[in-house]
Amino acid sequence: MKSSLDVGLVFPLLVAGRLLLALTNVSDALKHNHQLSSPLTSYLNLQEGIYLFQNGIDPYSGGVFRHSPLFLSLFTTVLPRSRVVSSIIWTLSDALGAWALVQIWRARQRVAQTSRDGLIAAAYLLNPYIFLSTLALSSSTFENTFALLALMFAAKGAASPALLAAAFLLQISLSSVLLLAPLLLLIASSPISQLASPRSFAGNGKKMISLLVEFLVFTVVLTLASALVSGGWSWVPQTWGASLTLPDLTPNVGLWWYFFTEMFDHFRPFFLMVFSVHLLIYVAPVCVKFQHDPLFAAFILLGILGTFKSYPTMADPGLFLSMISVFPELYPHLRYPIVTTLLHLHAALLMPLFHHLWLNQGTANANFFYASTLVFACANGAALTDCIWAGLRIAIGEPQEGFVVVQE
Amino acid sequence: MNALRARLGARVRARLQADPNIARIHRKQALVAVLTRRLHIIKIALFLVGYLWMAAIPSPRLGRGTYIDENALGPGQVNTYWNWGDVANADRYLEQLEGLRDANATSEERANFLMTEFLKLGIPASTQNYVFTSSAGNVQGTNAYAVLSSPRTSGTEAMVISASWISRTGEGDGTLNLRGVSTVLALANFLKKYSLWAKDLVFVISDNYVDGMQAWLSAYHGATQSNLQADELELASGVIWTALNIDYPGHSFSHLGIFHEGINGRLPNQDLLNSFQQISKWTGGVSVLVYDHQDSSQTDIPSWIPSGFHEEIQAYTYRSKNVVRHLGYQARGRGSGVHGLFHQFRIDAFTMFGLPATGPHGFHAIGRIVESTLRTTNNLLERLHASFFFYILTTPERFLKIGSFLPSAVLISVAMMFGGLRIWSDCAWIPDLSDKKEAGQDKWIQRSRPVIPVLGIMLSTHILGAVLFSAITTTWFINNQTLASTLILTVVSTIPLSALLAPSQDASRAAPISQLLKALNLCFASTVISIITVVNFSLAMSLAILLGIPLSVSSPSKILPIRLGKFATYTGLALGWIFASEELRKALWDWEILGVWFAPFVCIVYTPLVLQAGLVCLLPL
Repeated sequence: MKSSLDVGLVFPLLVAGRLLLALTNVSDALKHNHQLSSPLTSYLNLQEGIYLFQNGIDPYSGGVFRHSPLFLSLFTTVLPRSRVVSSIIWTLSDALGAWALVQIWRARQRVAQTSRDGLIAAAYLLNPYIFLSTLALSSSTFENTFALLALMFAAKGAASPALLAAAFLLQISLSSVLLLAPLLLLIASSPISQLASPRSFAGNGKKMISLLVEFLVFTVVLTLASALVSGGWSWVPQTWGASLTLPDLTPNVGLWWYFFTEMFDHFRPFFLMVFSVHLLIYVAPVCVKFQHDPLFAAFILLGILGTFKSYPTMADPGLFLSMISVFPELYPHLRYPIVTTLLHLHAALLMPLFHHLWLNQGTANANFFYASTLVFACANGAALTDCIWAGLRIAIGEPQEGFVVVQE
Repeated sequence: MNALRARLGARVRARLQADPNIARIHRKQALVAVLTRRLHIIKIALFLVGYLWMAAIPSPRLGRGTYIDENALGPGQVNTYWNWGDVANADRYLEQLEGLRDANATSEERANFLMTEFLKLGIPASTQNYVFTSSAGNVQGTNAYAVLSSPRTSGTEAMVISASWISRTGEGDGTLNLRGVSTVLALANFLKKYSLWAKDLVFVISDNYVDGMQAWLSAYHGATQSNLQADELELASGVIWTALNIDYPGHSFSHLGIFHEGINGRLPNQDLLNSFQQISKWTGGVSVLVYDHQDSSQTDIPSWIPSGFHEEIQAYTYRSKNVVRHLGYQARGRGSGVHGLFHQFRIDAFTMFGLPATGPHGFHAIGRIVESTLRTTNNLLERLHASFFFYILTTPERFLKIGSFLPSAVLISVAMMFGGLRIWSDCAWIPDLSDKKEAGQDKWIQRSRPVIPVLGIMLSTHILGAVLFSAITTTWFINNQTLASTLILTVVSTIPLSALLAPSQDASRAAPISQLLKALNLCFASTVISIITVVNFSLAMSLAILLGIPLSVSSPSKILPIRLGKFATYTGLALGWIFASEELRKALWDWEILGVWFAPFVCIVYTPLVLQAGLVCLLPL
């Protein structure tokens, strides 16, 4: 069993399998799917934007194109735009993400190679939430890859590459700014599991200021580059602004869209503020509580993002679920993994079904799909709270005869 | 859970007396203890309530009267103008059609005749040739259709009036629908005289029973089907909202029957059926039936039953006949007529079936009813959406809402889920027998639950199901059905026997595979059932009946013959259908021509689930 999980064999095999899958016509069937790509990440919108851009029309004037100008510059210059090549690029991005995840695992274990490497690569490359989104050519694939790259470099102590990856991530997804705090903590300390022995932050706190400045410099440079590419600032409200103001109410797997379709206009700004701030309030508590293990804090924040961000796709919670494989020390302390799994199974079957009943068959309505996204949110929430519980529980040690651990 | 309780014995209470959390822990433990101790009873109660609920679906006490939800429909509010002159027209068309029938005219000749007749009326008409290729051979034919443009609007919406050449009598046994076709022709002649149509009227005479309409609808909506070669339609119209399919095979009819099930279990909006029912009753004076079931109150009821119950029993018998018929159509995903094909394109449609009789109704009644129904659907400003899409019609005027039948299957699925979760949590613990110091108090030790091999087994059974499905869709299978069925049954039932070779494990360190397999099998089956309820309740209900108890009672045994016997029973349940050759052929035909997913579902989901239960019996304890 161990030899078959050897990463040197498993990894190329999985990537080859994924590439074969990418070359089939599955993408054409999946790229319209609302669960796999949101208005912010949709491949169709990207193509539309590139077409407009090449014909000298500002793609950000129409309210359809919401990708970062960096995508525009890449796809109009370096990268070819055929569907097949895109599929390959997307799949390779996933492969890079899986490789980064394996590196994160190795850095956490402080070893060069382990027998679990292949399993971890498989957990990323075979996660249906992730690989279906990639097949649908949703740009959330790149968000995941950048997030993993940033964490990988941070775990290895390579500050500048980590901050650069984080700056790129910020360019393509504003809500990922949540990851900045644990990322800085991670660079300043170490990725080694400290869950069993909590202590106060041991890293170099002063270094954080300079890291933050470096990140800001990268961000400013990339922002200016974006402005240069698109010839102005009209992209800001259309890309970053969109994840805050929710202009496009196309259904997705998140919790925002239905809420805001139902809302009276004069409450909109207030609730937009509440929903956005709600995401931010988790950063400080999670980072303080897990200051001894910033990688775990980043993992928890990824779970929160996948559950609560404004335009999530399946790939966002998928990243969180795949990352569970990096924290095997949690497993003995999870309280209800089977319930979480079953919730995910239900959600994963119900969402496409209710989506079909509502939009194709016409016998159901928006409430059905929304109900299924609530099941999905419950599944993600269950996974998240169970992981937080387990992460805190480890420190208390083995269960003792006659004692119970309770949460107050 | 028992283990947890045992481990947290009296010592906890003594030591933590001062802790404010103690009451909370105790409350929680007491609750868990009560639930776990009674879980068995809860499970049985859930099964019982679920099955009783299913049995109660036809009860006249459940359900409510139908009503029109969409006020715009205004059914039966208009004067009708269809008259004896039009009946004479219909008769003349019928004579010509009978001539064609007697001359053994080919599909093409018939379609050309129909097209010519439409053209004579001044309505643009055309024909469409199509060929379906399937493993059972080719199906071909020619449709005729005509599009009467709406005089009042731009033709963005349309209504279809259709008749298939072969009637639905005996599910398309070859009885011709000549009067249905002549009704459509005479209606075309009649309806074109009025300027009040707000939607295009599309007349379709589809060839054969269901395949003609499938070809026509696919071409109309530009849907591609790999095994269909059909001409493109020369005439087009707008979005079709509603379709009425006329089936009038006999000389006269006594009632009009509603057939409403579409393929893959979809139903039309109930407003359409209710409007038709009202119009038929009040405008046409024809009483409506569900299907062709007449409410015969001559059922023999044993005399020992008090006469006060007779009425209710009779009502129950009549309704259960309707419900069973409904389940038969919906569970198999089979449309109950040509109308069933419309549903996949979001068109609400049903078939009005003239129940053959010596009288009293004929062209006069059906013409008026169709005219008035068209006037009603003509009123629609948006698609039918108000009323119900999920319902069970127990009589033409009574129905069950989703809330009054759906929970029955969900309860069964919850019972299965409880069973699965119970086994799963029990698997984690084993009483410690080595340490006998504390007699009277069980000591429990934790053991691992190897999930990966179990998931592997489950996945491989589903792959086996997929292989089975691809085997039965080959031409070889259709041509040598008896031999092939036996062969496939032998192969598919032999492969799982390899489980007998699985080594017995040390039960103190890891939970036995058989128990874990049973746990996950129950959980997965429960998920499948509860999710299918929304798409196709009848299928979910059949699954709940076929899987509920059998999957819950699967258990390994130490004696080999018993293991084999149990496995054989499960194999029979899993694959018995392979010998229902006629049924199987129909299901495969439905899959290949119409895209009904019942056959692949049975092979890839149902059969593997039952085989897994069989494997539970085979695997070592």
